[in-house]
Amino acid sequence: MKTRAFSEKESLELITQMLQQTRQNLEIGSGNLFLYYGYAAVVLSVAVFAAVLLTHQSIWAAGWFLMFVVWIGQLVAGRRRREAVVTFMDRAIAQTWQVVGMLFALTVVVIAAIGWGTGIYDFALMLPLSLLYAGIGTAVTGVIVRVGALVYMPLVAFVLAIYMLVMLAAGASPEAWWHLGFGGAFLVMMVVPGHVLNHKAKRSCSRN
Amino acid sequence: MLPELNPLIHSQLRLSIMTLLAVVAEADFSYLRERTQATAGNLSVQLDKLSRAGYIQLTKEFVGKKSHTTCRLTDEGRRALEEYVAALKCYLNL
Repeated sequence: MKTRAFSEKESLELITQMLQQTRQNLEIGSGNLFLYYGYAAVVLSVAVFAAVLLTHQSIWAAGWFLMFVVWIGQLVAGRRRREAVVTFMDRAIAQTWQVVGMLFALTVVVIAAIGWGTGIYDFALMLPLSLLYAGIGTAVTGVIVRVGALVYMPLVAFVLAIYMLVMLAAGASPEAWWHLGFGGAFLVMMVVPGHVLNHKAKRSCSRN
Repeated sequence: MLPELNPLIHSQLRLSIMTLLAVVAEADFSYLRERTQATAGNLSVQLDKLSRAGYIQLTKEFVGKKSHTTCRLTDEGRRALEEYVAALKCYLNL
């Protein structure tokens, strides 16, 4: 494309053409991130559930901290490559998940600080709170990309989180199946929508 | 009297760059090159002109061993593009 003077009509046509082409190519993002976290949660849920059930030691619930490995992996991968183009949608989604990530980190820090003060480290609240945080992140992402599966699938996680919170408030202790339920909620809330997103992205690519 | 079209924007390649950057938050050099079908040298010169005018912001960094240039439209650039489109509408009686 050479730099040359051109007519007003050509100019308007160029603007219209550029806008249309760019929007067509940037309609939908990838669901891979949902799949990484979703599958990691499903695998860990089975492992933690089995460990807690077989040993009757709730300390195995600490295995959930391995979810941070996925997060660190994402950070490292993000440093090694840059996206060719970042849409306003991408930026809004990234900032939404930054807030969610900060909530996760803040919750761990606050619970640890309380434990340091009282001598009782009780991370049981992490299960329902994580479901709420991830559910809100997924639902907001769904609103941004206008994909119903992402908006409504987290309802399962919300119901489970509310159940866990009510039980904990009533003085009950976390049960082994809660870990499995957590993985199930991630399966519905992240794995299914992740595949839906990838399917839409693939369809969108084959159209263009 | 018709308003003057901003000469810095009224060029095929620079207008393409400005329009592309108006739709996205940021884009890298290779993306712009692919979309505009411009040569690397020409694109580089036009990006530099737009950058010196304050219409776009260029961020150069190293990703691994490769240099990577990211471009984004500034507020000033967005305003200039809006004024350009408004002037264009006057010319075309839209």
